[in-house]
Amino acid sequence: MPRRKPRARFVGPTLPFLALLLLALLAAVPSEAADTVAVDVGAVYASNEGTSIDPALGTIRGKLRSMFNYTSYRMLDRKRRSLPVGETWEFELPGRRTMRATPLPAQGDKVRLSIQISDGPKNLLTTTLGLRRGGMVLVGGPSHEAGVLILLISAE
Amino acid sequence: MDCGTALGKIIAKADGLLPREEAAELARHLAGCPSCASEDAAISATGPALRALTGIRAMEKAPALDAMWTRVRAGIEEGRETRRRSSWIARWAWIPAAVALAVAAVLFYPAGTDRSPFHPSSFDVAVEDVESDVATVALVDKGEDLPRVIWIIEDAKT
Repeated sequence: MPRRKPRARFVGPTLPFLALLLLALLAAVPSEAADTVAVDVGAVYASNEGTSIDPALGTIRGKLRSMFNYTSYRMLDRKRRSLPVGETWEFELPGRRTMRATPLPAQGDKVRLSIQISDGPKNLLTTTLGLRRGGMVLVGGPSHEAGVLILLISAE
Repeated sequence: MDCGTALGKIIAKADGLLPREEAAELARHLAGCPSCASEDAAISATGPALRALTGIRAMEKAPALDAMWTRVRAGIEEGRETRRRSSWIARWAWIPAAVALAVAAVLFYPAGTDRSPFHPSSFDVAVEDVESDVATVALVDKGEDLPRVIWIIEDAKT
């Protein structure tokens, strides 16, 4: 009975996996570039408890300090997802609130987003935003613990 | 001792199974019975003859046995070599698998855990519409280089 060569035994299962991966890469790249919008939402807890500013806020840190009167900014959660135009992404925000984001048809390097924020059955905010790709808008105000929530919403 | 019993003891002696006292008894019989003595001589000669024959056959088969042993040793060596090669491959086979896994993780891992800092390239935002069922909503625009803010004022809080 002919024995299978050891090299074939190890390389055999790896090759189809790599081929599959390559196919996935090829399939993923154009769709990412075409009609999808990467929505990035950071939930920041702003308060006067302490004076720390989360480094994960990046270049926004200075702007938050210059715009608001809070002394502490801490990122509680961050979510990011690539969405095709028309698809709604619903996720939870701190404080049992929910957010729905839906990319809408747009032209050029613009991105349009429909945003809905709910607190249980209550509709806190419904808005439609037009941003440049890589742009950001802040939504703040919902109370959280001893401070407020500020949502950093960006889209690419 | 009769000759029939003597023959049985002769065979037992040739096989080395005859007790010493019975051997002495057999020797006394053989001394007085030429027929049994002749039988004893013939049977006793058979063992060395067989040993000699086996030696001759072994010498005849020696080259074939040597060749067989050479093949056996070669087979053992080949087995060792195969194990060495397979262990070498096993040691490095995880690398392509790990690379593939890492790429897959980058591609398919839920993006919710992205913790790279925010670096927005623009704050140019158009608010097409805004409404709330339960809160007052204020639009705050503090200039080109600052983000636009939609501020939700719940329950008349400021």
